[in-house]
Amino acid sequence: MLLFRSEAHVERWLGDRPRGAIIPVTKLAELATAWWGDRLSPAWVPHTREQNQGILDGLGLTDPFWRFG
Amino acid sequence: MDPADLTVRRATYRRFVELGRAPTPAEVAAVVGAGEVEVRAAWRRLHDAHALVLDEAGDIRMANPFAAQPTDFRVDAGGRSWYANCAWDAFGIGAALHVDSEFDTHCADCGEALHVRVRDGHPDDTTLVFHVLVPAAQWWNDIGFT
Repeated sequence: MLLFRSEAHVERWLGDRPRGAIIPVTKLAELATAWWGDRLSPAWVPHTREQNQGILDGLGLTDPFWRFG
Repeated sequence: MDPADLTVRRATYRRFVELGRAPTPAEVAAVVGAGEVEVRAAWRRLHDAHALVLDEAGDIRMANPFAAQPTDFRVDAGGRSWYANCAWDAFGIGAALHVDSEFDTHCADCGEALHVRVRDGHPDDTTLVFHVLVPAAQWWNDIGFT
């Protein structure tokens, strides 16, 4: 889960390895807000798989790569 | 999840935020009024529930998004600093604290130093990209590698 200067840098870094998923850093920032925003809340309880999937779905991350099961 | 374990988790995160590093069992025990053995037992259950991550010695490795060991993601937020486990977590520390943040890392390919400022949840450099190697269904198979 790394940052790169551009998609071309990801491809060069991967070499012959299979590509995972690439998203813009702006989408990552949205994802972090949705995913971690409640982490320090006194009322925090573990997210269910459905809740986590809903966060990804809500951000348009609906490719099979982003499915929990 | 057992309410007592959630109390230990809250205390663990609170002390992590306050100290800028992972707390010891004694530091958490002092907050919750329990013994170190009870704290370690709660940590193990929380680890099994993916609510935090322990190392082989049973100490805190990750209280996501916070990292116990130095990483390539050094985050400043609210006048304090922590390490994050990955780029996602680097954004996550500011998100969890609900404050603006900034972090230093490097392009994993070319090594270029990257300094990212996050204001109101938005990064100042919008040209960067994020790569995830492992599919979501396999993230917890080896969370350290993920």
